[in-house]
Amino acid sequence: MTFRSKLFWVFTIALLLSVGVIAAGVTIVARQAFDDLNRQHSEALVAQFEGEFQRRGQDVVQRVQGIADAEGTVRMAIDLSRPKADVSVYVNDARGVSQSHQLDFLDFVATDGAIISSNEWPARFGYKMDWLTQPQDWSSLGSFLMKVDTQDGPALGLMAVSTVRVGDRDLFIVGGQRLGKDFLNSLVLPDGMRALLYLDLDPDFQPTNLVDSSGPVVDSERLASFIARERQDPRKQAFEISWTPDPLSSEAFHALPLQGRRKELLGVLLIGSSQQEVVKLEHRIRDLALGVVAMGLFFGLLLSWWGTARVTRPVRKLAEGAREVSEGNWGARVDVHGRHEIGQLATAFNRMTTQLTQQREQLVQAERVAAWRELARRLAHELKNPLFPLQTTVENLQRAREQSPEQFDEVFRESTGILLSEIENLKKIVGRFSDFAKMPQPELGPVDVNNVVRGIVKLFEAQFGAVGRPPITPELHLEENLPVIQADATLLHRAIENLVLNAMDAMPAGGVLMLRTTHQDGDVELEISDTGSGLTPEECERLFTPYYTTKQHGTGLGLAIVQSVVSDHGGRISVESETGVGTSFHIRLPARPPLRPAPAHTPDATSPVATTPTASENPEATAGEGA
Amino acid sequence: MKLRSCLFLAVISIALLDAGRVETSRRPRYGGTLRVEIGAVLHSLDPAGAPADPDEAAAKNEIDSLLYDQRNPDGTFAGVAGSGAFHIAEWESGKHVTLAANENIRGGRPFVDSIDIQMGRPAKDRLLDLEGGKADFAEIPPEEARRAAERGVRVSTSQPEDLVAIVFAAGHAIAEDAHAREALARSIERAAIVNFILQKEGEPAGGLLPQWSNGTAFLFSTAADAAGAKELWSQIGGSPKIVLGYDSGDLLGQTIAERIAVNARDAGIGLTAETIASAAPSPANVDARLVYLRMTSSHPRDALAGFQAVLAPMAGLDPSPLPAAAASEQIYERERAIVSSYRVVPLVWLPRLYGLGPRVRDWKVPAAGEGWPFADVWLEQESQ
Repeated sequence: MTFRSKLFWVFTIALLLSVGVIAAGVTIVARQAFDDLNRQHSEALVAQFEGEFQRRGQDVVQRVQGIADAEGTVRMAIDLSRPKADVSVYVNDARGVSQSHQLDFLDFVATDGAIISSNEWPARFGYKMDWLTQPQDWSSLGSFLMKVDTQDGPALGLMAVSTVRVGDRDLFIVGGQRLGKDFLNSLVLPDGMRALLYLDLDPDFQPTNLVDSSGPVVDSERLASFIARERQDPRKQAFEISWTPDPLSSEAFHALPLQGRRKELLGVLLIGSSQQEVVKLEHRIRDLALGVVAMGLFFGLLLSWWGTARVTRPVRKLAEGAREVSEGNWGARVDVHGRHEIGQLATAFNRMTTQLTQQREQLVQAERVAAWRELARRLAHELKNPLFPLQTTVENLQRAREQSPEQFDEVFRESTGILLSEIENLKKIVGRFSDFAKMPQPELGPVDVNNVVRGIVKLFEAQFGAVGRPPITPELHLEENLPVIQADATLLHRAIENLVLNAMDAMPAGGVLMLRTTHQDGDVELEISDTGSGLTPEECERLFTPYYTTKQHGTGLGLAIVQSVVSDHGGRISVESETGVGTSFHIRLPARPPLRPAPAHTPDATSPVATTPTASENPEATAGEGA
Repeated sequence: MKLRSCLFLAVISIALLDAGRVETSRRPRYGGTLRVEIGAVLHSLDPAGAPADPDEAAAKNEIDSLLYDQRNPDGTFAGVAGSGAFHIAEWESGKHVTLAANENIRGGRPFVDSIDIQMGRPAKDRLLDLEGGKADFAEIPPEEARRAAERGVRVSTSQPEDLVAIVFAAGHAIAEDAHAREALARSIERAAIVNFILQKEGEPAGGLLPQWSNGTAFLFSTAADAAGAKELWSQIGGSPKIVLGYDSGDLLGQTIAERIAVNARDAGIGLTAETIASAAPSPANVDARLVYLRMTSSHPRDALAGFQAVLAPMAGLDPSPLPAAAASEQIYERERAIVSSYRVVPLVWLPRLYGLGPRVRDWKVPAAGEGWPFADVWLEQESQ
């Protein structure tokens, strides 16, 4: 995953988390706000109902008191106070009086509790209301809830009692209004709210006893458990139900117990508040939040993409610059500007590459000078040896000519012989340098490395056990199934031969020469080890530098040629050495060399320095070619 | 002395003149139209036409008694319509009928020239018209009699001759349970019905015939026995319920049925009162029905026979008629047998009450089975 992708995903996740947290927070806060608003609304409605309830109660009290104060009622009381009063005369009075005073329930009751006239149950005359005869200050009681028996069954009434006393006899006037759908209809409720009334008139929950302003509530069984809870523990409570799986059908309820004079539960008022608008509003807010989130994400992603691209572009340029540097283009520059850290980094990078280029040029120049000096020293050294005999021979000829003319011919013959011999040496020296300069391009063909190794060992068999020098024991560890590679057999033979010669030179006291072949990933590996005196780390560093040698008569071209051959085959060469233990050369050759021109390891006329070696040179091993 | 004699003569003359005017006002007068209002609605006076309900039948019977001068042995009228004291002068179906006096009727021409009968007038309107002088004659419900009298209406009351009773429908499970029938019969406070609902116009009925008819009514108990009723009802297994039907539009019947429901509830009896169509057979769900039985004769044997004829098919009673010369004991035994079965539960006897306008004179309450004696009624001329 690229740095840009990582940065993009970091931005995206951060954006998602931020937007999600904000959206969740907004939703929760909105929900709480709606809940608070709804609760306040319901509480206000409950308070309104309680106020309305009290007002209705006072109204009922006034109406009943109005009946008690009416002249007809007083006359009735006076009449009934007489001995053997005929109560049957008044049996139908309650109906008319209740209609004129707009009361649903009205009973005229004698002092013994016997009903004289009843509006809600006219046929019940003569029966007694015993609860009326119990001591009670009815005038201070005000209104109260009561279960009223009617000919249609029990009903819930908001009642009041008033009395007219004549002598020692009371006439009770019991009046009230029915609490039912008409009562609920008279309540002014805001849109989306409704009032339900459960009349607790039966021992068990009766669905038909739950009414709203239009009559029995549909699906009232859903409220049975809440009403049962209210019946067990009469108190204000709130709950919410969903009539259907659709959240829009949810409705919040506030339950208000309706209790009678003795705190007995007579009914439950349920103030229902439809959550439809709230849910719709929540859905709108949620949709809006989702829309904002989506838009935010969209634009956030775009901005993230643009931002990451903008942020990573200089980094990418830096990476490309670094890659160019790694590929050898030390003059690579990064086109990044700005005062930020990346800009500073780019400036530093450019300064670094500039310095690297300058230092490399200086180094190359220095190496070139050093190489020329080494070459000059080597040439001087190589040429000095033949030149001195030449000079001596020519001086002998001059001296023989002047001092011993008679021996001049003899001297001349010997001297010309020496001159020719030394000139031949000079030609050989020049030839070796010429050969190194003219290293041929490899001509590839199938090569079995094992065969090459075996051929070389066989070539040097006589020298391993030559008389007059300590024996060298060759050990071959050749892998049987070594793959055939594409290589130039002659050049490969020459390179291995040089390494074997170096190893033999490194073991003047004899030792073991080990040659091992293996293969890995299609490449062939060759290890050539000796048990010589080994090399120092400094020697290893300069081992493959041309014309570098630690031998008295080496040209310093042997390992340079080996490295050139290996490099021309696309391989690698490295050296491991430990002083007093020995040295091992590791060559890795690919099955097929890459199709590219061989790097210019061959020193040209102006630059005697080869490319940087891949491993340390072996100063003791340069004698192979130059020996 | 002379002055005193003159004053005396003057006082005597004035007294005689006043006495003569009073005598003149009590003398029957021919002429005038008797304005009658009835609650029933008649759509036909055709003898072959069957009345829609008992009220229509009763009203038609009253009008026929004015139009015909003869009756068959079974009580139906004989002869030609108009052969009686009056003939039909004007007929508007369902609204009113005008009867004109027959001049050559045997026994003498009626005093009034005509009778205008307005049909379909509610009881409240009839009373208002009586009070306002817009009607001369109207039947008034018993429960309204006292209030009408208090308002100054002349009220004429007959002997109790209409029986209100509960008749259990034969074949219904609960109706076939003697305990259930007796429990209901014993739970009813008949006195309360008479005193409160009927405003003391009527008598509690324990038997089928009123006391004035056979003289044996006192032998039947009318007292309520809620405890006994409760005990009887508790002997019935399950949780039965009696459906008591009453005719739609019958406000008195409704009130009585509701009171019976209260009494039954007090005795633990499950009973509901339901309205049913008048004159229609009782619906299948109705176990008992509130009925009005009108005495067709003053004679106890005939009256009981009339009751029996109506009740037998309804309650599954023995339809066999009493002997023509049945003695009082036999009539009582038959009456006792019917009442003891509790298939018929007598409740109250109702009198027939008539409201009379101030100018109606010589009105006599008709005996049971007789029609309105309008031929003998005359109208006092209203003072100018």
